[in-house]
Amino acid sequence: MRWLVACLLILVSTAATAETFRFTAIPDEDQSRLEERFDKVARYLEDQLGVAVEYVPVKSYSAAVSAFRNDQVQLAWFGGLTGVQARRLVPDSRAIAQGKEDAEFRTYFIANHDSDVDTQGDDLPKNVQGKAFTFGAKTSTSGRLMPEYYIRKQFGAPPKSLFSRVGFSGDHTRTIALIEAGTYDIGAVNFKVWDAAVADGRVDTDKVDVIWKTPTYPDYQWTVRGDVDDRYGDGFTDKVRQALLDMHDPELLESFPRQGFIPADNDDYQPIEDVGEKLGLLR
Amino acid sequence: MSAERAPGLLAGDSLNLRLARRSLGLIVLCLVLLPFADLAITTHDPWAELGRMLSGLVHPDILATESLPHAIALTIGFALWGTLLGVVLGFPLALLFSRSRLLRGGCAFVRAIHELFWALLLLQVFGLSAVTAIAALTIPYAGIFAKVYAEILELTPRAPVDALPEGVSRLSRFVYAELPMVWSRLSGYTRYRFECAMRSSVLLGFVGLPTLGFHLESAFREGRYSEAGALLWMFYLMIASLHLWGHRRLLPWIALGSLFLLGPWPDIDGALLWRFVSVDLWPKPLLEGNWNELWQWFGDIPDLLPAIGNTLLLGLMGTVGSLVVALLLWPLASRHFGNRPTRTAGKGVLILMRSTPELMLAFIFLLMLGPSMLPAWLALSLHNGALIAFLVARHADAIVPGNHALPASARYAYELLPRLYGGLLALLFYRAETIIRETALLGMLGIATLGFHIDSSFAYMMFDQAFVLLLITAALNIGVDALARRYRPREIANTPGHRDHPTGEAAC
Repeated sequence: MRWLVACLLILVSTAATAETFRFTAIPDEDQSRLEERFDKVARYLEDQLGVAVEYVPVKSYSAAVSAFRNDQVQLAWFGGLTGVQARRLVPDSRAIAQGKEDAEFRTYFIANHDSDVDTQGDDLPKNVQGKAFTFGAKTSTSGRLMPEYYIRKQFGAPPKSLFSRVGFSGDHTRTIALIEAGTYDIGAVNFKVWDAAVADGRVDTDKVDVIWKTPTYPDYQWTVRGDVDDRYGDGFTDKVRQALLDMHDPELLESFPRQGFIPADNDDYQPIEDVGEKLGLLR
Repeated sequence: MSAERAPGLLAGDSLNLRLARRSLGLIVLCLVLLPFADLAITTHDPWAELGRMLSGLVHPDILATESLPHAIALTIGFALWGTLLGVVLGFPLALLFSRSRLLRGGCAFVRAIHELFWALLLLQVFGLSAVTAIAALTIPYAGIFAKVYAEILELTPRAPVDALPEGVSRLSRFVYAELPMVWSRLSGYTRYRFECAMRSSVLLGFVGLPTLGFHLESAFREGRYSEAGALLWMFYLMIASLHLWGHRRLLPWIALGSLFLLGPWPDIDGALLWRFVSVDLWPKPLLEGNWNELWQWFGDIPDLLPAIGNTLLLGLMGTVGSLVVALLLWPLASRHFGNRPTRTAGKGVLILMRSTPELMLAFIFLLMLGPSMLPAWLALSLHNGALIAFLVARHADAIVPGNHALPASARYAYELLPRLYGGLLALLFYRAETIIRETALLGMLGIATLGFHIDSSFAYMMFDQAFVLLLITAALNIGVDALARRYRPREIANTPGHRDHPTGEAAC
């Protein structure tokens, strides 16, 4: 009994913490040394913003959105669709910056050589029909939303009726591994992740190759809660945006991985919102 | 199986014949339904990936891991506090358990939802915090403790109470004449539950709580196998060394110490919590009282009936598969077969198989066999079969064989199995509920069970849909449990005198 009381006292004492500015990033690819890498970003933001900054690691796309909604993080590096989800759940939250690459993002469709799918043309090859296909995470913009949109646009049918199987690998790196293993014939991946995997030699291009590149669309962005100006001081949102735009250290940018950040706003993501609603992923 | 056509083979009323008929019935049902399951093998080249995986296991790289001590401490902290609070809530409920139907129903409901799904639900309100993790364990465990403690208390011998003089208060009677009689069973079961909690706590990492599972799943998913190997070995080591650090004098200190690591505690936004409970969880047409639209709303849940069918089918297949695996594997760890080295190896294999999280086994098979129901079936069968085999072997070791001259096969078939089979089947039927809970879980890997759609609903932030699917899952689990209870060989399952609790040890 005595130590139960002690526990309660400890609980009460640790609950009172100073207001720290927290951010997270959706886990879309290589998470090794995640905390180490993002802690550097936190230190950078701390210097620029003059408040304590902490990085909160998350496991899934939806956990990132939940953390943002619950005010456990005030700033988040979201994908296109997760950003729209988050801004719908948290009124007044705003997209403030995107990566230089994100204004013109792409999805690559990749295939295992043994699946005998024709190689690159202007459209997705006709003979993908009847093959086994995998998306990435269920709410990934580049691994789910946009590839599904283009599949439906070209074939006028949902993926389920087009392919023999439709899976969700959960993330881009695993999509590549599953295609290489031949578990699925075809997959849709984030082009940045694919390019990085090829550059690092993590994928055997004799076994897997790109069969089609989608047209461009807007993707990842930094989204900040609407109430941060009240809580951290006037103009805090602008300060955060400026700090992101001023991030030029390649070591920091590598975590995202982007060449740099450019301004963005909510309207940039209207096309994503429209597609999300059309596919029934947003309501 | 009519008596007329096969006189003497399966007819008759003896216990083992009845058990044999039940098992064969189950197997035939499974075989009849098997064509409805998707069991295609589609992978063509898994070997490179499997090779990398194996080499990672053989060459674990502890230095590649990140914040390992912290993750281990949190895993233990969550498990300990989840169990502790589960006991605190569950014990009083156990005292009222037999009196209230409502209470029994409530406990069955909270038990029927897997810890991971509780975590997904609580995550929306308490975020990625210790509150989510501990509550996700405490809630179902309170239901489990209430039930099992009540069952143990029922077994209290009457003699000491009868020997008390008249006029002894109810409380004194309970504390001095009843509790001491069952104390060792209660604490034994609690201890066993704590082991379960350790496993569950690791699993909680799979949905993002910062336990060992968090790092294990990431490393595994992204193919950093030497890191995954190190984490997996660390997990085995933690479970295997439990008896060293899980001492009752040490645990309170560990519990206290872990409190310093569990924070920061979330600020709970009352408005958000209220909105979640009163609006988000319920279908909009229901809140508006629009019944036509509610029907439509149900129709919009994708593939609801196939998902229910798949869940039940995979549950049945998993149960039958576990039966076969258990029958084949239990001699591996029994003193009646083989020699010391083979037994040690056999035990090791069984412990390894039952300790490895099913999701991980399923993923390995997924790479080998392709994305059908087959990997999930194998994972469920091996994991649960190994667990049952291990317990059966332990029961077998208590049997003194009569005729030493019998060859091994005859000893297995005529001497030991007839005596063990009832217990084995009781364990299996007890396990059926857990198996169906786990099928829902394997949905998170992409097998089209209810769990798959629950996971999707949470991903699309459609909490009403997730909640209704959870209710359906819970109803299915309760139904399966009731069915299993009906066909469970009572004669054996309720024999007092088994260690701790009759079949409670097969519960996680």
